[in-house]
Formats: sequence, C-alpha cells, structure tokens
Amino acid sequence: MDQRELLTLEHYLKQYGQQAEIFASQLELMENGRMEALAAVEALQGISEADDNTVLLQIGGGASLRVRVLEPDKVLLNIGAEVIVERTNKDAVEFLKDRVIEMEASEKKVVETLDRLRSQMNEINKRLEQGYQQAVQAGRAAPAGSGDQDE
Amino acid sequence: MFGGLRDRLQAARTRLSGSIQAAAARPQEQPDAPAASRPAAPEPQVVPQLRRTATFASKVKTFVIDRELIISENEIADALSELEIMLLESDVALPVTDAIIARIKKDLVGKHRRIGQSVDSLVVQTLRSALLEVLGKGFDLTSYIRDHGHPVKILFTGVNGTGKTTTVAKIGDFLKKQGFSVLIGAGDTYRAGAIEQIEVHAARIGIKIIQHQQGADPSAVLFDSVQYAVSHKIDVILADTAGRFHTKANLMSQLEKIRRVMKPDLVVYVDEAVAGNDAVVRAAEFDRTVGADAVVLTKADMDSRGGAAISIAHTIGKPLMFLGTGQGYDDIVPFSPEAVVEELLGDA
Repeated sequence: MDQRELLTLEHYLKQYGQQAEIFASQLELMENGRMEALAAVEALQGISEADDNTVLLQIGGGASLRVRVLEPDKVLLNIGAEVIVERTNKDAVEFLKDRVIEMEASEKKVVETLDRLRSQMNEINKRLEQGYQQAVQAGRAAPAGSGDQDE
Repeated sequence: MFGGLRDRLQAARTRLSGSIQAAAARPQEQPDAPAASRPAAPEPQVVPQLRRTATFASKVKTFVIDRELIISENEIADALSELEIMLLESDVALPVTDAIIARIKKDLVGKHRRIGQSVDSLVVQTLRSALLEVLGKGFDLTSYIRDHGHPVKILFTGVNGTGKTTTVAKIGDFLKKQGFSVLIGAGDTYRAGAIEQIEVHAARIGIKIIQHQQGADPSAVLFDSVQYAVSHKIDVILADTAGRFHTKANLMSQLEKIRRVMKPDLVVYVDEAVAGNDAVVRAAEFDRTVGADAVVLTKADMDSRGGAAISIAHTIGKPLMFLGTGQGYDDIVPFSPEAVVEELLGDA
C-alpha cells in the first residue's frame, strides 16, 4: 500500500466520520422529540387522573407552582404542518403514542445507517492499520538493503 | 419510503370508498328517495324490455354498470375531514392539503358516478389525480441538459448538514452514467473538510474537480470552474456551496455574489425530507431570497411521513428533481410524480 492509498483511506475515514456525526446528531434530535412526546403523554395522563385538576408546573430553576388546569379535557395539539387542533385528553394521548411509534421506526432506520457507517469505518481502520504496518516494515527493510549495497 | 403516509392514504381510501358505497346502497333501500341520488330504474320494468331487445352484453351493462348516483358533499364530508387530518398529520402543508381536498371534492361531488364497477377504483383514481396535481411534473434534468447550451451550470444551495455535497457527487455520478462530461466546482470553502470530502467523492466517481484552498472566495472557485468547463467543452458544472441559513444576511449576500459571477442556468435547493414542513418553509425562504429552479430532497428513505415531498412543489411552485434514498452513489432517483403516487396508493 503506497502513501497515496493511505491518504485516500484517511480521507474516506474522515468522510464517513463526518456523515456518522450528522446521523448521530439527527438521532439525538429524534430521541429528544420522542422523550418529549412521552413526557407529554405522562403529563396528560397525570392531569386526567389528578384530583381537583391541580398539577405541579415547573417554571425552571427548580421552581414549581401548583396550578389548576381549567379544561383538562381540551388539549391544543400540533398535529403536523404547524396546524394546531383541539383534541380530547384521550385522543391527544393516542396521537402522541402513535407519533412515538413513528419516531421509533425512524430512529431504527437512522441507527441502521449509523451501524453501516461504523462497520465501514472499522473496515477502513483495519486497512489503514495494515497499511501503516507495511509502511513501518518497509521503512525498516530499506536501510538494511542500502547497507548491503554499500558494502 | 413514506410508509406512514401510504398507510394513512390507504385508510382514507377505505373510508372514502365506504362513504360512497353507503350512498350507493341508499337508493336500493329507499326507492322513492328524492334529488340527492338518482335511483336506478326498478328492475321489473327494465328486465322484460331487455329480454326482448338487448344482447347479453347490453343487459350486463344496464344491470351492472349503468346504475349511477350523484355523490353529495354531505355523504363524503366526514371521510374528507378525516383525510384532511391524516394529511396534516403527515406534515403535508395546509395549502397543499386544501388543494388535495378541493380537487377530490371537485372530482366527486355533484357528478353522476357509475357504481356498477368498483367504488374503490373510483376513489383511487380521484386520489391519484389530486396527488398528481399537487406533485407537479417533476424536473427531467437529462432532457434539460440536452436541450440547453453547454456547459450547463448548476448551483446547489441549502442549509447546513442536509447532504448537499453528497448530493452533488450522486448527481455527478448519475449524469456521468447518462453519458455527460461533468465538472465539480468545490465552492464550499467555508466548512472544514468540505473540499477534501468533495475531492474524495470526485476521485471515486472519476470526475474532474476545480478547487481552491479553504477560506478562498467561492465565487472565484466557481468562476474558474466555468472557465475550465468552457475551454474543455464540458457538458455540466455542478457547483457545491457552503450550507447556510436564509436568516444569515452576509452568507446570503455571498450566495448572491456567486450567482452574479457564475450566472448559473439552474439553482437547485437541497434539503432533507425528514425535516418535513421545515424543509418546505426553508425552501420558500431560499426561493424568495436567492431563487430556486428545482429542489432535491435527501434522506427520503428515512422519511415515513412524506409531507415535504408532497408539499414542496405546490408550495413554492418549483419542481422536485431528485430524491436521495441512501448512502451509495446510486441511491438517488429522479423524481417521478407517477412513481411516487403508485408507491403511495399501493396495489391501485
């Protein structure tokens, strides 16, 4: 393996690494969205079960307020395309659960792509390793050969 | 690709068929029902006449095919309302959803419809026409290149991280396989590693690349690319640029400068299908600020909703050119509205 081939492999590795980074950040966004939807499901279920419609509202900085939900069965929900509709608590929970399933399916595809990229990176790494070893061995052999010639 | 939308459309198709079938069944149950639906002639009066004069084929036609009904808006209102919600849930933009519903209403409501054959095929045909109307005609890049003076200069724009550079390489590979000579201009001089990335792509697919150093003026790189292409009689120049958000005024004015210097024949906006409605909004913004002649959506294989692919052409009035469907150079398909509709409506 010559120097140029090693350089190309290094470029490939870098390129795959950049792609993997993009997919990893996409996966993180999806996972955040999924966790957010699950938290909303939990909150909606909690509100529907709460006595007196009173819940604890976190306002940041570790501070919370006891608040009373005026209409616990009327949920304003962004269903997609920036369109917000009013749904009952039960329907909103159902919608969010469906969305979680959809996001899980999408995440699975991204994970598969990431796995594929990582296995390609491993393959390139192996070849690079072999290339480096060959280069080191060739470097050791060269001075010995030139010494023989001198003699 | 677009599995979620396909499932939702199948459900909508069943629901609409059910509504029309229910409407079709009504005249049989209530022969005296007025106006809204035109009942078929009572069988005892028709059959003896046919026995005397008609052939077997015309009997079949009268009994099975010629029965008609007029579909009223009320009869399909609930089904259309459900379809509207289904489309919005798939991130299909509101104006596009409205256009689809309006087209379906126009096709179905108030018209005499034969119910002898298959209500399902009637519904599928209506959905197909409505979707084809919003999807537009697509953009045949190879025909465009054949019909225009060479070199055809194509400038790629879009936000960061959507796969613009990879798309440039994929389209380069696609055009090379179509028999065109291609040159890539490495106009993304801003992102670290972008020049090496496009250089590696170009080497792998065997395409000449013009590049300067990182930090160089992208207008200069692309100007040099045009000069090289003209002197070497190259068919197509694919000009990569740095990703930018339309809100960054200085980067958008840089893009404007590139446009002035390079004078592209086509400006192609690249975004990812998974961004859904955001992709549609961003495409509209880019079109307003620097213009766009066509759109490429990447990562369509990971998009279950399909909202961006359905909405983008109708919303910004510019055609979809390609869909990116994976990591390989071959994983790019010229956008064909018919093929997408076929995939969405399945066995129809």
